[in-house]
Formats: sequence, structure tokens, C-alpha cells
Amino acid sequence: MKNFCNRREFLREISSGVCALSLSSDFTTIENLLNAGPAYGAGPPLKEVMFYKKLEDVRIECEICPRACKIADRERGYCGNKENRRGTYYTLVYAQACAVHNDPIEKKPLFHYLPGTNALSIAAAGCNFECKFCQNWQIAQFRPEQVDSYPLTPDQIVKMTKDQGSPTIAYTYSEPVVFYEYMYDTARLGRYQGIGSVMISNGYIKEEPLSELCKYVTAVKIDLKAFTEKFYRETCSGELKPVLDTLERLRKIGIWFEIVVLIVPTLNDSEKEIREMSRWIREKLGGNVPVHFTRFHPMYKIKNLPPTPVSTLERARKIAQEAGIHYVYIGNVPGHEGEHTYCPSCKKIIIKRTGFFILENHVKGGKCSFCNYPIPGVWEKPPALQPKKI
Amino acid sequence: MNPQRRNFLGYIVSLIATVPFLSFLKPKVTAGEISPIQVTSPPGDKARVVMLRREGMLNGDAPDVRLIRKVINEGVCHVTGNSLPSGAWRELFTPKDTVGIKVNCLGGKGVSTHPELVMAVVEGLRVAGVPDSNIIIWDRLTSELESLGFKINRQGEGVRCFGTDSNYEPGVEEIGSIGSCFSTILSRQCTALINMPVLKDHDLSGVSLSLKNLYGAIHNPNKYHDNNCDPYIADLNSHPLIWGKLRLIICDGITGMYNGGPGFKPQGSWPFQGIILSRDPVALDRVGCEIIEAKRKEKGLPGLKEVGRDPKHIMSAFKKGLGIGDMKKVEVVKG
Repeated sequence: MKNFCNRREFLREISSGVCALSLSSDFTTIENLLNAGPAYGAGPPLKEVMFYKKLEDVRIECEICPRACKIADRERGYCGNKENRRGTYYTLVYAQACAVHNDPIEKKPLFHYLPGTNALSIAAAGCNFECKFCQNWQIAQFRPEQVDSYPLTPDQIVKMTKDQGSPTIAYTYSEPVVFYEYMYDTARLGRYQGIGSVMISNGYIKEEPLSELCKYVTAVKIDLKAFTEKFYRETCSGELKPVLDTLERLRKIGIWFEIVVLIVPTLNDSEKEIREMSRWIREKLGGNVPVHFTRFHPMYKIKNLPPTPVSTLERARKIAQEAGIHYVYIGNVPGHEGEHTYCPSCKKIIIKRTGFFILENHVKGGKCSFCNYPIPGVWEKPPALQPKKI
Repeated sequence: MNPQRRNFLGYIVSLIATVPFLSFLKPKVTAGEISPIQVTSPPGDKARVVMLRREGMLNGDAPDVRLIRKVINEGVCHVTGNSLPSGAWRELFTPKDTVGIKVNCLGGKGVSTHPELVMAVVEGLRVAGVPDSNIIIWDRLTSELESLGFKINRQGEGVRCFGTDSNYEPGVEEIGSIGSCFSTILSRQCTALINMPVLKDHDLSGVSLSLKNLYGAIHNPNKYHDNNCDPYIADLNSHPLIWGKLRLIICDGITGMYNGGPGFKPQGSWPFQGIILSRDPVALDRVGCEIIEAKRKEKGLPGLKEVGRDPKHIMSAFKKGLGIGDMKKVEVVKG
């Protein structure tokens, strides 16, 4: 399992419960084999899922993601972290963080969102996709009880974020859509205390939960895995269309978002596909949406392909630029010129980066400091929401 | 201490340690259990499925332990063709084996593998000379085992009982449509596997019998629910960790569930009062499926295929060569 933070340090930060198992060694008789246990296994407190509907025979239908799992009593959905218990659908990962780390916002990557700041990044186990190249499969492709998790409430997350001087909480590493309630409550709490929230997601989410969430998150990054249904179906166990719908909804809502495309050699790297994708982005989302073409490394179930050649990423960047997308980046290639932000007007480097670090920042008040051209993004800390007066 | 005295004390200690085992063998064993049973040899080119039903196997909520023990022993005799239970168990297991007993706890009390049935199997393994410490009762989660009434014993003396919990192999095993991490209980500890599913309906795969029960051996069964879990279940069962270790299947049909599975629904269950045994998972699942379909028909319910839950994984397993799927080639021994 990946260590995202020092366990001892982490536990010092929070108050945690200790659970002890009683062991027995006497199995010689049937009486000793039996034990009056609880009706359900012991575990963390449960939280009811926000979006689902009840069906006949204590079955339910999940309404968070387009997969719309129909789930019988005692079963779980595709994500593996929610369970139907007697007709009520519960998330098993509420306030259970399996990864916590204070990351540069550039690591998400979000390049037009408070550059040079950190985001307290959290995850809970589970995902509604199964990408064969999953970079965090040890948490995303496991169920909650199979990974080490720490009790960490939304309150505690907001407090930790403030204590560390970070302006943002990021829901990342696994798939935040499947720990929606945890993310939603934390983002909401944070917004009222001046802490922003960013969702790092595959975008496989239904309209209603997305709209509700966007009241409290301040930016979104969407992994656009490819531009063919075939790739989504065969490599991710998902669908392209609902992700495109999400992107259009984000555009309509007006929230800041960026797109990441992981280029996997031979699977989604054809010139035709990149061109069609770029045209669609330009036409439906506009030229100001940052697009990051990032380098694949062999992982999880795709170990037979080489890392993406840098030349492939450069070609993709050129195609996207030709299509009229202004901010196109190359990711996972530290030191590459495609990491910088260039002013579309004067063509100068306005944010110079290497890896996750900012070397120079010439964006002032949302404009290029050389030519005053407006640069889209979130450059100031979003203001705290004010409680409504009744 | 004088060496002779030490030897003597050691002998006494070992004798005391053996007493529970001996006392189990003598006073508790009934004549029926040690008497030879009329059996025939398993057919060479056919699969044998043994279905034994007894009134009183479940008395109210309490399983009849003595009756269950007797039926299990009789069943193992029929499976092997050996007329003596001791011979039958020894034919299947050796003292060198570490035997994993994969139970099914997901449905909760009412439609999970009964601990009493498991205990009878443990006694059979003891007869075969398998040391208690080489017997592991397991499922996905320790908490699920506990909730069913099993006592947890991870490392102590005696039969062990615990869930896989987070102990999966670090690497992904890929076979066909499956790509999963296996339980280390199965991959590292067991040399032999007894699969103990229950006789029940399943909301996705149609039925949950022996083949489906092995979903509990991998970390990500939730990823393999599409298309009635087909071909995933068959692919999983073809993995050498399962296929190479499976020695016996004992399906708990004390209570059967014909509708509403996998969680227990009293209104969808009935006292089948039976146990189904085989060494062939496909043949056993075919027989189990027929029982469930017949009960559904009797209750006026449509067939599984009609309600979109065709248990096609069974025939997929047959096509992969995991057992006999042609019922003409399945000998069903009833008793």
C-alpha cells in the first residue's frame, strides 16, 4: 500500500478510535465455534448515500454515477464502497480517509488555479471505473475494508487545511465521485470558512449530484481518458458520452475546470483521435480550457506498453494548439517547455514551471503582466460563503 | 528433572492433549457413522452429485449437529465411492494438507453456511489426520464470520478461522476477463480447498452456488457484476489457485433461497433440509440451479432467465472444461 503520509504524524493530528479484536483459540467443540456476533460486521459509523432511489424487494438504484447500479440487499455497487442494508444505501467511506497529503496544486494538475499554493489532498477507497493503467490502483481498485483508512471528519480536514496554511482541499488519488458525501460535506464546510475545494475526477457523475456539488467546489479537473467509446469500454470499463456531458455541464455552470488526457501508446494516441478531441473541446468548451497531455507509465494491468514517447505528447500538443486551444500542456515530463503557461497574445512565458514547482509567475490580477491580456483561471483565493440570513 | 520423569510427564501432557480428540471419536460417534455405507464407485466419464435430505436437519432455528455429522459422512462416502467415512476422508485429504474451508457469510444469518456444518467437516478432516492448525475456515471478512457466529482464531492453537480482510496478494493475477488480487489465505496457506456455498438465488448471477462463492477469494468482485457475472465467474474458477486446489464442494442446503438473494429473505426461502456434495463444481451448480428453478416454479415465479438473471456462468464454466454441464452425464445420488 502506498504511504501518502506518515501514519504516526497523521494519528497525532487526529483523534482516532482503536478497535481491538478478541481472539479465541478453542475450537474443539461446536459451542466454542459459535459466537454471538453482531448482525452486521463492526465498522465505522455509516452515512446514508445522498442520491439513490428505493426499488421493490429492498433493492436500490444508485443515482450518483451513470452506471446506475441496481443493488440487492447486502450487496455493493461497482464502486465497492457503498452497501445496501435492508433497503437503505450507505457509504462505507464517510470520514474514512485512506490517503492524506499536502500537495502542490500543480500535482493535480491544476495550472490555472492559485499557482504555487498547496492543497490538502484526501482520498477514500473505491472507483466507478477500472482503468487498466490506474496509477493509484492500490486504493482506487480496492474496497474500504481492504485498505488502511483513518477516521478523519470533514471538520478535522478543514482544520488541518487551515493549520497548514493551504487555501484548498483536493479530493483526489482515487475517484471522489464515489465518496461523494464525504467530499460534499467537507467542501461545504470549507467554503463557509474560506477554504476552497477541487475535485480531481473522471467526470463520470450524474447531472443532479454534479450541480449540487458545484455550489461548494471551486474547481474541477477532469480526466478525459480518450475520445472513443471503444477505449472507455475496453480499457476503463466506462463510457465516453457521460464524461463529455459532464464537461459541457461544467462549462454551463461556469466553474473553473481543466482537462487531463493521459496518452497511452497505441491505445489513444492516434492523430485522428487527438484532432477530433481537440475540435470537440474547442467547439463545445472553448479555447480557454487548459488541456494537459500527460505521459503514461506502465502500471496495474498495462505493463506491456512503453512509456509514452515525448514526441507523441508534443504532436498532441501541436494538434490541440492548431485546433485553437490556447493553454495546452505536457505533463509527467519535468523540465519540458510544455509545462509553462504562455500568453496567447504576446507569446511570452507568464508562468514558468518545472515539475510541480513555480519558477516565475507573471500573472497579475488575472492578466499577463507583459501585455495585460486576460488569462483565464482562478488567481485569487475564492471568498468564503456567507451563511444565509433567515 | 530426571529425563525419565520428563519423558513420562511429556507423555501425560500429550495424552491429556489428545483426550478431547479421542472423546470426540468415541462417545459422540454413532453406529451409523462408523458402519460401512452402501455405495457405488463414481462413474468414470460422468460427474457425481450427492444430494442428501433429512427431515429434522434444522429443528426450529437449531441445526441438529449429530444428524448433520452423519449426513456429511454419508455424503463423502458417496462422493468417493468409499464405504467407510474414515476411508472417504482419507481419500480426499492427507495429514500434510492445509485445508481452507471457504464458507459463504454474505447473506447473514438464515442463508449462510452453518457453523454446525463446518464443524462436521472439521471432524472429518481430523479423521483424515489433518491437524487442527492446518484447517482454516475463511471468507472475505472477519467481521462477516463473526456476525454469523464463528469465533475468530488467527494464530492460536486449534482450527483457525478468520477473513482475508486486507490480506491480498500484492500483484494482479490475470486470467481471461478477470484481473484480481487473490486472498493470501488461498494463495499462500491452503494446499487444498473445500468450497462450502449455500443453496441460494442471486440478484445478479441468478444463483450463488459453488462457482459464485469463489468471488470471495478476490479483492474486486464488485467489478465483475455485468452480464450476470458472465464470463467472469467461469474465468475466475479456471485459475490454478482455485482449480488446482479444489478437492470437495459441500453446499449447505439446510435452508434454501429461491428468490431475493443474496441477502436473507425469509419470504424467499424454504427448509430444503439437505446437503449437496460433489467434486465437480459445474455439475453441482447445475443440480443446485434445477432445485432453485423447480422451487420458483412451484411458487409461481418466472424462471431465472425470464427475469433477466440467467445463470449462464454455469455453462460458461462447462465450456471452459471446469466440469460436466450436460445433465445426461451427471449422476445424481439421492438419499
